[in-house]
Amino acid sequence: MLKIKKLSKHFGGVNAVNNCSFDIKENHITALIGPNGSGKSTVFNLVSGVLKEDSGKITYDKIDITHFSPEQASNAGISRLFQKSQLFDNLTIKENLLLAIDNEDTKFWKNMLGQNKITKEKEVKVEEMLKLVEMESFSNKLGRELSFGQKRLIEIARTILNPHKLLMLDEPIAGVTPKLRTKISEILLDLKKQGATILLIEHDMNFALNIADEVIVLDEGKVIAKGTPKQIKNNKKVLEAYLGD
Amino acid sequence: MSSIAIQLLFNGLIAGAIYALVASGFSLIYSTNKFIHFAHGAVIAFSAYILYFLFSVLGINFGFSVVLAIAFASLLGYVLDIAVYKQLRKKKASSVILLIASVGLLILLESLILILFGAEVKTIGFIKVSKGMEFLGAIITPLQIFIIFSSIIILIGLFIFMKKTKLGKAMRAVSDNKDVAEIVGISSEKIYSWSFIIGSAIAGIAGILIALEQNLEPTMGTNLIIKGFAAAIIGGIGSVHGAVLGAFLLGIVENFGIWYLPSGYKDAIAFVLLFIFLLFRPQGILGIKRRAEK
Amino acid sequence: MIEAYFIHLAILVGIYLILALSLQLALGYTGLINLGHIAFFAIGAYTSALLTLNGIPFIIAILLAGVISAFFGFLLSIPTNKLKGDYLAVATLAFTFVVYAVTLNWTSLTRGPLGLPGIPKPSIFGLSFSSNLSFLILTIIIALAVYFIIKRLVDSPFGKVLEATRDNELATKVLGKNTFKIKSIALGTSAFFAGIAGSLYAHYITYIDPSSFTIMALIPILCIVIIGGLASLKGTILATIILILLPEPLRFIGFPSSVVGPMRQIIYALILLLILIYRPKGLFGKVELD
Repeated sequence: MLKIKKLSKHFGGVNAVNNCSFDIKENHITALIGPNGSGKSTVFNLVSGVLKEDSGKITYDKIDITHFSPEQASNAGISRLFQKSQLFDNLTIKENLLLAIDNEDTKFWKNMLGQNKITKEKEVKVEEMLKLVEMESFSNKLGRELSFGQKRLIEIARTILNPHKLLMLDEPIAGVTPKLRTKISEILLDLKKQGATILLIEHDMNFALNIADEVIVLDEGKVIAKGTPKQIKNNKKVLEAYLGD
Repeated sequence: MSSIAIQLLFNGLIAGAIYALVASGFSLIYSTNKFIHFAHGAVIAFSAYILYFLFSVLGINFGFSVVLAIAFASLLGYVLDIAVYKQLRKKKASSVILLIASVGLLILLESLILILFGAEVKTIGFIKVSKGMEFLGAIITPLQIFIIFSSIIILIGLFIFMKKTKLGKAMRAVSDNKDVAEIVGISSEKIYSWSFIIGSAIAGIAGILIALEQNLEPTMGTNLIIKGFAAAIIGGIGSVHGAVLGAFLLGIVENFGIWYLPSGYKDAIAFVLLFIFLLFRPQGILGIKRRAEK
Repeated sequence: MIEAYFIHLAILVGIYLILALSLQLALGYTGLINLGHIAFFAIGAYTSALLTLNGIPFIIAILLAGVISAFFGFLLSIPTNKLKGDYLAVATLAFTFVVYAVTLNWTSLTRGPLGLPGIPKPSIFGLSFSSNLSFLILTIIIALAVYFIIKRLVDSPFGKVLEATRDNELATKVLGKNTFKIKSIALGTSAFFAGIAGSLYAHYITYIDPSSFTIMALIPILCIVIIGGLASLKGTILATIILILLPEPLRFIGFPSSVVGPMRQIIYALILLLILIYRPKGLFGKVELD
């Protein structure tokens, strides 16, 4: 579903991503792991259109999305969660979530003439999502009133609400309580059952290896290993990459 | 080269010399404090008006008046930092807030000048209208030669200060990386104050030279700081070298520009250049990138 | 005599309100540090004045004033799209200076420093608004219309996208929104209303020259928007009334009018500084300037 071919990106003198190639299978949960600085977030940024590549090709659902802007990537069906919190601090949680549902809100005249009301349907979608992450009572709170863990959950909710075929999650459970971790794990597995394709970056090896169908290991911007969690656990190269750090 | 061209070149150098003083003081403050201190223009204007007040109104000895005016400018800059910018820094204000505050200060100070001195144009009658001397086919007055030389001397002095003195090096350290500088024991607050004291003193000198060469009017500060800022952006904001380079370039381009354009557009040249550089090359000619783009 | 004075103040409140609400749209809601708002005010004033001085009916002139200002707003959004915070602020400020320089020097069009005198009072379909009272009514109607239009916009989902762009442009893009388009629309709309305000101003004072459109003119508006509070329309209304009325007592203390003008500016500048230091959220602000 997602094919990355010979992708490269450098910053200053550093090769963050170096001739990287891999494929993501549909309806799988794939974990992208690797030591710090191995280029994982940069790959995410390149795929979701946030950064421009130096060279290489990214194909998604048979479309070449290499030069897509973030909006284009999103509208093509890629929904992205960032490592750092990107909630809209001065909007309510409900407003944060409503923004994800569709792009009718960007139509100036439609909105000016009052033809873009918030339908019952949309409100229900938001409520269901809040129920899923067990945060119904937060609907009218402002983004900046939430704790880190709460923000994380809402952002995951928002990422899921954004119409998508591919979910890209950068460290979804970082800094989150064990109880929430289990909750998120359940949500992801559930999504997969409903047909979603998920690519996630995670430093927590346990989490990643438990939940993933396939694991891709990066080091210094290149793929050094691919396989099932079991295969990766026993892979010498991977061990070296992490220990030699 | 025709004598018109040489005249324009000289005029460009004179303007450039003044802009360089404006831009270098401003740039010193920007590179140390990381925000755009627009009120710098008002400090220049105040220095000129204080000289007028002391010398032309009160009749105090010219030499004393000059020294007092420069000291006043320096003090004013320091006060602005302590009274306003420091308070905002304590509240972790962003550079945008500091910029807006500096625009507010510029307007406040200019309005003060309007009230104290009135809107009519003033002149300082120290140097009687002297005949220009001929040099390489162009006319240049002794005052103008003096301006170019003083400017160069002060700029050289500034460079030496930045490179060789302890305070200058500390300023560059804070400019490069405030946090690391603090770890090594440099007090950034003190350095900020010093940057304002020194930068504003240079502004004071600029104000005096301008006052002698041209007329005084209450809005002269706004005009000069825009040009000074344009010069800093063109040359490369964040370094004093850049500001100086940009200043001389601006002076020359302005003066050659009005060979072709009606002279009323002279000021517009600076604004348009500023606009173009901000849009297409915000890091300026010397290319010191300062997070201009997202 | 007294009523003439209050009518005059009310008209000023109306014109400033339109300017402030439109700046609030760009600055408070969309996060665009547009310090060039006065340029759009100027473009609107000159457009409307020149059109009516050449026989075009007022109602067309005022609309065109808005449209042409909006056009420049859209135009300005293109090169400034990628600029961040303080560079955007300075670029828009530079725009004000460029427009000022043009009004000063394009003498064949604007008569430069001589300005445009004798701008006709508005007349719509034969109804003349030459008395100040009638002009006040016209101003109130337009100001109310502007308020309701902007309120409708910011309360709608489009308004939320504006605020999202302000809070986090990248996150907004990642949700599939074209933020360049959003910012252009915000700046263009903001400029449109500033142009309308410019037209009203020109037809009220009946004489305009470049000196009314310098950076000094920005301070009261900026003050109002920040003091009222970013992203608060009712704060803007309250702040406009307070700030226009506040310096008026100066006239009665006996200062000459050449002093009253600069004193007003000093009061505004001081209030702005105090608010920035001690209460950056202003009266009803949702958001802190960041």
